[in-house]
Amino acid sequence: MSPLDISPQRGDAGDGIGGRPPRIDGLAKIRGEAAYAMDQPVEGLAHAVLVTATIAAGWVRGIDRTAAEAAPGVLLVLTPGNTPPLHAASTWTGEAPPTSEYRPLEPEIRHVGQQIALVVAESLEQATEAATLLRVDYEAAPFLADFTVPDAGEGQDLPPLTIERGDADTALASADIRISAEYGTPREYNVPIEPHGLTARWDGDALTLWEPSQWLDGMARNYAEWFGIGFEQVRLISPYIGGGFGSKALALPHGAIAAQAARMLGRPVKLVLTRPQTFTAFGGRAATRQLLELGADADGHLLAIRHRGWQETSRNGLWVEPLNAATALMYEVPHLSSRQRVVPVNTVTPSAKRAPGENPSAFALECAMDELAYALGQDPLALRLRNEPGRDPHSGKLWSSRRMREAYAAGADSFGWARRNPTPGAMRDGPLRLGWGMAAGTYPVRRSAGEAMVRILADGGVEVASSTSDMGTGAYTILAQTAASVFGLPLARVRVTLGDSTLPRAPVSGGSQMAGLMTGAVDKAARAAREELIGLALNDPRSPLRGVANTLAVAEGRLIAPRGEAPPLPIAELLTAIGRDRVEALRDTLAENGLKPEDRYRAFTTVSTMRAPTDGEYSMHSWCAHFVELAVDEALGSVRLRRIVTAFDAGLLYNPRLAESQIKGGIVMGIGQALLEGGIVDRRHARVLNNNLADYLLPTHADIPPIEVISVGEPDPHASALGGKGVGELGIVGLAAAIANAVFHATGKRVRDLPITLADLC
Amino acid sequence: MPPTAHAAAPAAAPPAALPQGSPVPNRPITLFINGHDHVVMVEDRTTLLDALRERLHLTGTKKGCDQGQCGACTVHLDGQRVLACLTLARQAEGSAIATIEGLAGADGTLHAVQAAFLAEDAFQCGFCTPGQIMSAVACIREGHAGSEAEIREYMSGNLCRCGAYPHIVAAVQRAAAALPSEASS
Ligand code: FES
Ligand code: FES
Repeated sequence: MSPLDISPQRGDAGDGIGGRPPRIDGLAKIRGEAAYAMDQPVEGLAHAVLVTATIAAGWVRGIDRTAAEAAPGVLLVLTPGNTPPLHAASTWTGEAPPTSEYRPLEPEIRHVGQQIALVVAESLEQATEAATLLRVDYEAAPFLADFTVPDAGEGQDLPPLTIERGDADTALASADIRISAEYGTPREYNVPIEPHGLTARWDGDALTLWEPSQWLDGMARNYAEWFGIGFEQVRLISPYIGGGFGSKALALPHGAIAAQAARMLGRPVKLVLTRPQTFTAFGGRAATRQLLELGADADGHLLAIRHRGWQETSRNGLWVEPLNAATALMYEVPHLSSRQRVVPVNTVTPSAKRAPGENPSAFALECAMDELAYALGQDPLALRLRNEPGRDPHSGKLWSSRRMREAYAAGADSFGWARRNPTPGAMRDGPLRLGWGMAAGTYPVRRSAGEAMVRILADGGVEVASSTSDMGTGAYTILAQTAASVFGLPLARVRVTLGDSTLPRAPVSGGSQMAGLMTGAVDKAARAAREELIGLALNDPRSPLRGVANTLAVAEGRLIAPRGEAPPLPIAELLTAIGRDRVEALRDTLAENGLKPEDRYRAFTTVSTMRAPTDGEYSMHSWCAHFVELAVDEALGSVRLRRIVTAFDAGLLYNPRLAESQIKGGIVMGIGQALLEGGIVDRRHARVLNNNLADYLLPTHADIPPIEVISVGEPDPHASALGGKGVGELGIVGLAAAIANAVFHATGKRVRDLPITLADLC
Repeated sequence: MPPTAHAAAPAAAPPAALPQGSPVPNRPITLFINGHDHVVMVEDRTTLLDALRERLHLTGTKKGCDQGQCGACTVHLDGQRVLACLTLARQAEGSAIATIEGLAGADGTLHAVQAAFLAEDAFQCGFCTPGQIMSAVACIREGHAGSEAEIREYMSGNLCRCGAYPHIVAAVQRAAAALPSEASS
């Protein structure tokens, strides 16, 4: 077997949409040539180091800069006392700021790790040393370490998340079988291996930023507003991103202070967060708690769900993690009551981590369904099938597609679920107890407008350009495939340029929406360019194909007359003949999303025009079913995964090779969530103790079993232009529940708080 | 295997610029990287990783943690894998340093491990990838690519948050099969 031998697989569609070509950005990545933001060579760079608060609440009374400023190589020391304010920026949802000023270095402290100073020096070593020389005088104030401390209370109600369907209390009271349980998830962190950071350079009033970004246009708008300059004066460059998982979509305080330092110094400044700082400079998933009561009749038909959720937020910011996102959707339930409260504590404001909402929601619901199955004496898969809803029970709309039954069938079949002995502890391998568990997951189809430029070049090749970004999603490759399909070209003839805010616009690469909306925009622009090309071929007086037919086809880089009226003409020859060096089309999908040209700026720089999954005739979601085998060594309390099978419906897969990788990546992150990950809060100081990669445990190679993923999706014409649904977040949803359910099956122990550790099982 | 030359690398780079006003002595040292000598000004406290990235602009080697916890900075020192963030630049003087930029042949031919990573889609964002590849080359050479379980164990110092692990293991197996002499040596 040659190392480069890539065998075609079933469903191969060559280089076009639906084919399995390898990543076109892969070569640069495996050679070490892909220039991530922190790799960009910038002339005259100064290096910055951030200094952060060591108290959880109170004030910085003063910072003595003398020693730091006198240290070798130091160029600038910024503290709350000597840093002028910026303008406040509107929010990512498009709301006006509550104040007019924004201070990236504030004297008031609301959490440990809040940035309080920036030291800039000629070298990184010098800045690092000088940062240790600042003397900070604090005035400490009382704080709330996390939402479990009694003083944190019950928090505030979130009325928009209230659901009252039928009469859940009465239905529960009359149900034959009831279960009630409380589930918890800790603070979880995104932890992309590329730390957050940026290089900022000013040229007059123009700001260039090299910063990893899931949303170039949104972040560029934010910087423009902070510095009171035009959107066009900001250029954000982010051709490659070393992972984000939701954490690299917004401009963050460290970006503001680095850009401000660059302006004050008149020199480019590079700031990279230290790994510990990545736990406090921006938030991960909020800690959550959910109380679930399920009631069913004796046959296992769900009658009612009563759901109460609590989540953390910060003292100065509101992040909502919608804990009923899956609860209200997965099963046919006539009576549902759901409420959620948010509890402010002294932490950095939580933010988006892969599948915010659906992930903790499915963890609780899917564990509770397993508990209900055991209470009923039924198979957990059979129970789910019995309650499979024909339409969205929440909105009442029909599903655009829900191939959940197919996912259950394909997953169970490949896994061998029928051979499961349901009695906990009954399946063994020598001294080990085996656990087989399953759970379902879902993620909505979100839609926004996109914009792309497609350019046919004189050599017959094609260029695609957009400001959208590729953080490992495969955007480069699937957008090339989209164009390749339209022009019938091999992938090697398509060049894709992404990750530059001066390119045609794109909304956030988040909410698993990028692939669906951007393939639609590129397809539209490519078709428009093709039409123009054909028009030129038929009508330009210099065209060899002038007047030969009513229309022409384009394939393999050539223009082809439908009935052989003329020999196929290479695109390159046509362009030469008509004296053009290119034919290009810039197209957006604003109209398809009910928007007008004047909505363009708002549509791409805020999420205010993002459409809900039920906006329109249908309710649109991706679906998955996970099946897990693990082994528990009861003497040690250790859990080892043995194999995972996940069947999923994400509609058409633009490139199954890359989609499978992403689903597996979600599963791997779910393994971490289930068994390893959680911020450990020292309640005496409100500090996250395990703020590094040795103590905040990520899954390693040794933790990961063989994973099989099976696509059961079919093109969903309602969900996107080309028929795909979201992939990026789906794989993680429900996975932790499948593991927790397998642990119960192995041991008879219900562990309802993640992560499941030795301490829970010994 | 000695480090191979990189087509684009100069035979000996001029010393990188001296940071201004530094009383911590900046001394020129010579690092032998990917088959070429590079003279670089470093402080005693400069890590090999920062010397490569910030002073020699060899940015293929990544910084994921700067604490020896992620493996993104893995390079070879005299054929052994080391973490460049836990190695001082001066410690590497006199050793043959191999980085991702020097792995492919002078004519651009991919190393078998690189080719296998591409074929197996063994990465997503690609940020951990140079470290994974450098570890994998050493893992095979050390004779630790005999089984999936062994590969997992000996590759566990390299974290991948995108979760490309199953495909990385497959790539290491594929490359090991293509490099029989190395695997058995
Ligand atoms: S950067 Fe060296 S191990 Fe993480
Ligand atoms: S490919 Fe993204 S961290 Fe490994």
